[in-house]
Amino acid sequence: MNAQVKTLAILSNGQKAKIKKLNTNGKLLHKLLDMGFVNNAQIEVIREAPLFDPMELKILNYHITVRKSEAELIEVEEV
Amino acid sequence: MNEIKVALAGQPNCGKSTIFNLVSGIEQHIANYPGVTVDKKTGFFKYDGNKIEMVDLPGTYSFSSYSLEERVAKDFIIDEKPDVIVNVIDASNIKRNLYLTFQLLEIGIPVIVVLNMMDVAERRGIKIDSKKISKMLNCPVVEASGAKGIGGEDIMKNIVATTQDKDKYEDFKINYEELEPHIAKLEEKIVDTKMSQSKRWLAIKILEGDAPIINRLKDEYPDLEEFSKVQENSFHEKYDKDTVSFLASYRYESSDIIYHKAIKEEQTGKETLTDKVDKIILNRFLAIPILIFFMFMVYQISIVWGYKLTDYTWPILAAFKNFVIDILPAADFIDVPMITDLGIWLVNSGNALMNYLPIFFLLFALIAIMEDVGYMPRMAFILDRVFRRFGLHGQSTLPLVLGGAMVGGCAVPGVMSTKGIADDRARMATILSVPYMNCLAKVPFYTLILGAFFKPDMAIMMFFISTITLFVAMIVAKIITTTVLKTRETAPFLMELPPYHMPTIKGVILRASQRVWLYIKKVVTIVLAVAVVLFAMLQFPGLSEESQAKYDADGKKALVAFDKKAQKSKYYEEVDTKEEVSALLNYYDGYKAKRMTTTTKEGAKSVDADFLALNGSYFKFIKPKKDKEARKINKILRKLSKQRKRILRNMKNEKIENSLLGMAGRSIEPLTQFAGFDWKINVAFLSSFAARESAVATLGSLYENNKADSMRAEEAMAQNSGYTPIHATAIIIFMLLTPPCIATMIVVKMQTNSYKWMMFAIFFPVFLGITLASFVFTLGSSLGWSGVEAMTYFYFTIVSIALAIGFLPNKNINWRGGMKTKSILNKGEKE
Repeated sequence: MNAQVKTLAILSNGQKAKIKKLNTNGKLLHKLLDMGFVNNAQIEVIREAPLFDPMELKILNYHITVRKSEAELIEVEEV
Repeated sequence: MNEIKVALAGQPNCGKSTIFNLVSGIEQHIANYPGVTVDKKTGFFKYDGNKIEMVDLPGTYSFSSYSLEERVAKDFIIDEKPDVIVNVIDASNIKRNLYLTFQLLEIGIPVIVVLNMMDVAERRGIKIDSKKISKMLNCPVVEASGAKGIGGEDIMKNIVATTQDKDKYEDFKINYEELEPHIAKLEEKIVDTKMSQSKRWLAIKILEGDAPIINRLKDEYPDLEEFSKVQENSFHEKYDKDTVSFLASYRYESSDIIYHKAIKEEQTGKETLTDKVDKIILNRFLAIPILIFFMFMVYQISIVWGYKLTDYTWPILAAFKNFVIDILPAADFIDVPMITDLGIWLVNSGNALMNYLPIFFLLFALIAIMEDVGYMPRMAFILDRVFRRFGLHGQSTLPLVLGGAMVGGCAVPGVMSTKGIADDRARMATILSVPYMNCLAKVPFYTLILGAFFKPDMAIMMFFISTITLFVAMIVAKIITTTVLKTRETAPFLMELPPYHMPTIKGVILRASQRVWLYIKKVVTIVLAVAVVLFAMLQFPGLSEESQAKYDADGKKALVAFDKKAQKSKYYEEVDTKEEVSALLNYYDGYKAKRMTTTTKEGAKSVDADFLALNGSYFKFIKPKKDKEARKINKILRKLSKQRKRILRNMKNEKIENSLLGMAGRSIEPLTQFAGFDWKINVAFLSSFAARESAVATLGSLYENNKADSMRAEEAMAQNSGYTPIHATAIIIFMLLTPPCIATMIVVKMQTNSYKWMMFAIFFPVFLGITLASFVFTLGSSLGWSGVEAMTYFYFTIVSIALAIGFLPNKNINWRGGMKTKSILNKGEKE
């Protein structure tokens, strides 16, 4: 097993990744799932906001913003 | 005639409202869903002998119940049991949109899928086989383009056809494979429920932990939650998956299957126009200047140009006022009928608000454009980090700007534009902090006070006044989000940045007019009601008998003096009775009032003509020209008019002093004395509640006293009030923070849907204002500060507090999870 755990928050612009795990529950989990953050979904980091937080992602052919504090809860695997 | 109830559902940004406008035409009804502030739009139309009622459900990404909109949408489906669901899909973003479609299909009500924005999809090289989708989902699929007006007819045809073939409808089922046994067990459990919905759907919703549905079923099955937990746990044990994620993944997989079978995308990965524009609009260095530019333009167009527009609309309102004065009974010298007083008071209160209509219309139109284009979420993206510090949200930018972040604005549109903020706590905080922003109608008040007490320092004081409000609002937002709003729901900042769209003119105008109409309907009517109450409080109990006798004597004296002089004129016959003099005086004052509202030469001529026609023989007294004898009358008439005004003003002041409102002002004097306010200021503040403008009028009239008319209000105030500049500073500080006008209170009530919060929005600022004003006044007078000094210290204290909150680390974490420490470790480990 790969011991190194990466989260979405540390990816930089233009990097692509696959979602591995959502370390959250309740409302945020539901919302993430509804927005398409299901296992193995592909995401791409588009940019950071001018003040460095939140970040803009591309998933399922649309763009979405995520705060870094929430991106830290999303485990990913780079592709 | 058949009546068909249709629910229109779809994800945000799928163009649902354009489809709604396309199908339902102009006959729309907008209200709120019972108990919440989500818009309920209903459209009515007839098609093929059927009466169709279409309800536009709030846009939701999913059909769970984790947001207010989702709960509202679901409650509607359960309680109202629509015959058909029309599901609008953005054809260029099919995969995510189908996720909702699968949830809708499962409900057990026939669904019609509308592929909207087919033209956009085509342009992007997306080829969609809608027949195949229709076959795979076993439901009608209509191709449409709401913006281009294509597809409306097809949608209506399908609605009617679907309801006619109702008996042929078969429940839609997704095979959830390993979850099926658990669904079956729950279905069995609730088999004889009174709820008429599909049992399978209810079972799936229970497994998803859907609170509204579980709550409904709990009465029949008290152990439902435990039962469902057992199923979820056994599923988790067997497959190491939780039901919520499993269902979501499964639905996404299902939409993926459709996507692969029915859609061909030719230019995947190609940069769209939206991507190109975003490279500039969201550029790290350009984003903020561009945002400031847009905000400046919104401000410039609506507030500045809109204000100029009121120059053209004001004469209409003034004419209306003159018309009302004309039809009300005229004054008999110093006896002004109460109905006349009341009428004028009401027209003034109404006009003060109606005057802002051009500004509001422009504002609402610009907001609608920004919403349609897709700039709103981008604005939130750019500034979220700043506002989050204060417990607000990126989307708080616009309400604050409208409220008056730049020089001046109006809290009414500011509060009304908070509707879209997803995070409930931030939305409430925004609603409650926008009223602190710089209200345009306060400017005359400040000008009066500054002119009276701060002549040499006007510029710097005005700078303090107009820039301090944003800092105050930020501090207030921080205070209330960490205290009274602490337990409010927050929402994750997961916000779609939709592709840019051209707004439709029809949509923008429709929306702006609807909002303006809402304003007229709700605000103006209530303000009029409050104006009546205030009027009564200012009138009663009225003058004592001695005072009345004294004023009557004054009036008689003035008349006798007039009469004595008039005898010397050859026109004496025309003015030798009280009735005649009184009529002439009203004629004279009426003429002056009408001339004041005309600015052009032609206008003046037409007023002259009107009055000549009205009474030819009186006209010579108003414009005597070379007629020496008439000029004599004109001279004494002018004097009499002044005397009458003075007597009326004195009567009014005495009436106010003795009135209920005056008593109220006096009774709170012990409390307000620490801020240096006497009862006059208190009365002015109390009466300003109806509309800000009246504070100036009340103060002006209270201080004019018996001085000659040529003295301006600020001079009179400086001389007669006995105030020092430090008093004035305290007054200004209180005015900066004081409760918003009643119009704002009503929109606060509308947006929070609670009288409790409205009361909070009234009393918290009053408390804050009186505390700070007292503090500054007491400290300032004991340390011998000048007014400007006191204001300067106050200003920099407020700014420092706001900056401290902004820059000190805050502990406001909304989400907890296990990864935090790990990911930091991870960062260190990275090569």
